[in-house]
Amino acid sequence: MANVTLSKVRKSFGAFTALEELNMEIAAGEFIALLGPSGCGKSTTLRILAGLEFPTSGEISIDDRRVNDLPPGKRDIAMVFQSYALYPHMTVAENIAYPLKKHGVKRPEREAAVRQAAELLQLEPLLDRKPKQLSGGQQQRVALGRALVRDPKVFLLDEPLSNLDAKLRSYMRAELIELHRRLGKTMVYVTHDQLEAMTMATRIAVMHGGRLQQFDTPEMVYNCPANRFVASFIGTPSMNQLEGRVEGGAFILGPDRIAIDRTMFRDDLADGPAVLGIRPEYIQIGRGPLQATVRLAENTGHETILTLELSEGSRITARVEAGSRHKVGQVLSLGLQNDAVHLFEPGENGARLNKEQTGAAVIPMRAQ
Amino acid sequence: MPRARHLILNLVTWSLVLLIAFPLFWMIITSVKPQSELFRIPPTWLPETVTFEHYWRLLSETPFLRYFRNSVVLATTTTLFVVSLGTLGAYSLVRFNYRGRETLAMLVLFTYLLPSVVLIIPLYMMMVAIGLSNTLMSLILAHTTFALPYALWLLRSFMEGVPKDLESAALVDGATRMGAFRDVILPQLLPGIISTALFTFILSWNEYLYALVLVNSDAVAPLTTGVMSMLISAFNIEWSLLMAASVMMSLPLIVVFAFLQSYLTSGFGAGGVKG
Amino acid sequence: MTAIATDPPMLERRYARLGVVLIAPTILVFSLVIVYPLLAAIYLSLFSIYTPTLQGEFVGLDNYAKLLTQKAFWSSLGTTLIWTVGTLSLQILAGVGLALLLHQNIWFRSLARSLVLFPYFLSTVVAVLVWRWLFNDLYGALNHGLMQLGVIDMPLDWLGSMPNAMIGVILVGAWKYFPFVVIAVLARLQTIPEHLYEAARIDGAGPVSRFFDVTLPQLRSVLTVIILLRAIWDFKEFDLLYLLTGGGPVTSTQTLSLLVYQEAFGLNRMGQAAAYSVGMMLVMLVFMILYIRRTGRES
Repeated sequence: MANVTLSKVRKSFGAFTALEELNMEIAAGEFIALLGPSGCGKSTTLRILAGLEFPTSGEISIDDRRVNDLPPGKRDIAMVFQSYALYPHMTVAENIAYPLKKHGVKRPEREAAVRQAAELLQLEPLLDRKPKQLSGGQQQRVALGRALVRDPKVFLLDEPLSNLDAKLRSYMRAELIELHRRLGKTMVYVTHDQLEAMTMATRIAVMHGGRLQQFDTPEMVYNCPANRFVASFIGTPSMNQLEGRVEGGAFILGPDRIAIDRTMFRDDLADGPAVLGIRPEYIQIGRGPLQATVRLAENTGHETILTLELSEGSRITARVEAGSRHKVGQVLSLGLQNDAVHLFEPGENGARLNKEQTGAAVIPMRAQ
Repeated sequence: MPRARHLILNLVTWSLVLLIAFPLFWMIITSVKPQSELFRIPPTWLPETVTFEHYWRLLSETPFLRYFRNSVVLATTTTLFVVSLGTLGAYSLVRFNYRGRETLAMLVLFTYLLPSVVLIIPLYMMMVAIGLSNTLMSLILAHTTFALPYALWLLRSFMEGVPKDLESAALVDGATRMGAFRDVILPQLLPGIISTALFTFILSWNEYLYALVLVNSDAVAPLTTGVMSMLISAFNIEWSLLMAASVMMSLPLIVVFAFLQSYLTSGFGAGGVKG
Repeated sequence: MTAIATDPPMLERRYARLGVVLIAPTILVFSLVIVYPLLAAIYLSLFSIYTPTLQGEFVGLDNYAKLLTQKAFWSSLGTTLIWTVGTLSLQILAGVGLALLLHQNIWFRSLARSLVLFPYFLSTVVAVLVWRWLFNDLYGALNHGLMQLGVIDMPLDWLGSMPNAMIGVILVGAWKYFPFVVIAVLARLQTIPEHLYEAARIDGAGPVSRFFDVTLPQLRSVLTVIILLRAIWDFKEFDLLYLLTGGGPVTSTQTLSLLVYQEAFGLNRMGQAAAYSVGMMLVMLVFMILYIRRTGRES
């Protein structure tokens, strides 16, 4: 088991800055998800950890050892690529044996290790095939096998599930969680899929524009998003964000006044422009101070997502029970669950103004 | 598609194809006609008698075999030299970062387009000065001037087609850069290397100008200048013999076409005519 | 271990060094056989050199003055342009036409493609020998074929008189090089998505308007590249013209490449020839820069 530390890591390609001063401490045995939209710097971070890219400045250490100057092969890591990167001219067995061969493991031991990995991943009948003859899911498992076989300190996974179909993906999610539990190894997992991050990771590093936005447990990231970006990126449909102003004990939204509990927010919260955030599930339909017109009602089977237009023109989404029959054009009154309200600074990526642990009950997501 | 239109389309296309290929057929037909039939007016479109005497004479009475051997040595050495340099060079140009790399790539492209006649005068003087004129070595060096930029450019785009992740995976698995090159990149690049080698070989095999200027001894002449000298030296041009020589000279090409044609077409896509 | 932040990390520097080591042999050979001769050509163009002895003296810009004032360079440039434009247009027309035909589902398609492809890879020496035999004024198949078809009633002197000689070389040039256009266009045709044609068909477009509205726009970028590349290669063509006509009759098919060769090895004026070659390269530079910029933009 090994910890991983990134300190003050910067990466620029010419004039373009891919990473700005990234600091991250990963404890031994954690399962970390690097989550963000494409181009946020998550893959660059992983490749820097692997030694496939070089930081412009900053330090990287694995197991308390500085690895900046070590080539990838000497960092005691294994990596699973989005494209799987199986060697097309080698058989499955040769693919899995390759890292052992490169580390000077003798043939008999190599064969034993390959058999063991193949057994673990149910690859035995495929050992003599070439990658081209395998299905996507099988290739995925071979890539995992190649990573497992050497028993590395840290696993790096670069969107390993994104090329699988939905059903297989959810199956593999469970497999990976199980694998992590069994091996207890440190894993760093890059994904743009919040569902993967939320369900698998012990902590999520949300990244955007080359900056780390929040690095916390899934519950905290969901319930106490550090800023407007995290609030809108995590959760589907995403958190409603309404631009208005704070005046005393109320949030002013056009003609409407929404009462807020100032004790929930930071003491330095001042009157003035702010953004109110509320998740769709905390909008109470049928009672409350606001009036809204139903613009769209999408029934997904187990719930209905309503798109509502407030009287001052902005739109919000609300999550209601599947059975509820709301018609387009219908006018509803609604309110916001008071303890689930977030306030953010105005501006594109305003910071959250709540006190640390407020903003709806913290629900445990994955048993540790 | 209606049958009639399909038929017309086929007839039109095939007449054009046969018209284009006619010189090739004519070459073969002439090479097997007896001398007496050659100067018939009007010519016989198909030979009345088929004879291989010209081929026999070509091989036994003329220096054709020597020219052939020279060409084989020349084209093979050039190809080996250029492809090995080019493969390493392309790896460097595509997968490494250093100052001046882009400029270098542009320079390669520039030399790929450079006219031979600009280089031929200084090259001639250089070969004379270092005593290499009239040797196959001088031709190998001269052929490098067009073959190396060509091979580098071709291999560069083949190299770009090898997924970067494969090399990354090999590095993570513990290979060095050169180890990854040998274990993973080279096997993937092999079709590209074959394609480039074939192109280079054909280019070198067919080259005329440098051979004309740099070699004037019959002993080291390759096929191109050698066969042309047979045309010029003969008092009475023996067309049948020349056509037999032409067929024999195209032999490597025919072999490539028969067995390795897909490599030629794949080289085209890589050769800078992407659009 | 106290590296300054701006210094590239050790590993990166090590890789960069390996990259340079790998390209070094290429650079060495390049400098030796291309860069040095190229610079030498420019240097030599300032001398008057007698070819057999390779002795000469510095004459400054005299050779360039002659290039500008005497007729030889300019009339050769004119000839080169006629040859290039003539053969290139034929190559494009025949190439696109045949590519369209060979893209259809015809009998023995791959055999047809091979036959069309073959001339491109054929040695110019072979192509010229075959065509000189075809062009032969007494026994040539071309004259007799045309006479049997009733196109002409007297055998023509194909390579010995004008404008026949120019037409002859343009024709052979087109025959030899149009397959290049065929392959490039065919490759592009195969990537045009079928649904574009379906959409055009639904919109009521006939075969002709489908060609102009769907095919041609899709071919535009590849055609630009082909035209640039072939223009450069045709412009500098030596073997084909030299072997077919030797530049004759007199100098009527003497393109710039032939002029340089003739000046250096026929008239033994190497310095002047070097000046011509530099002049020729300057003319070509326009096309070369266009092509390089285009390719650079793509990658």
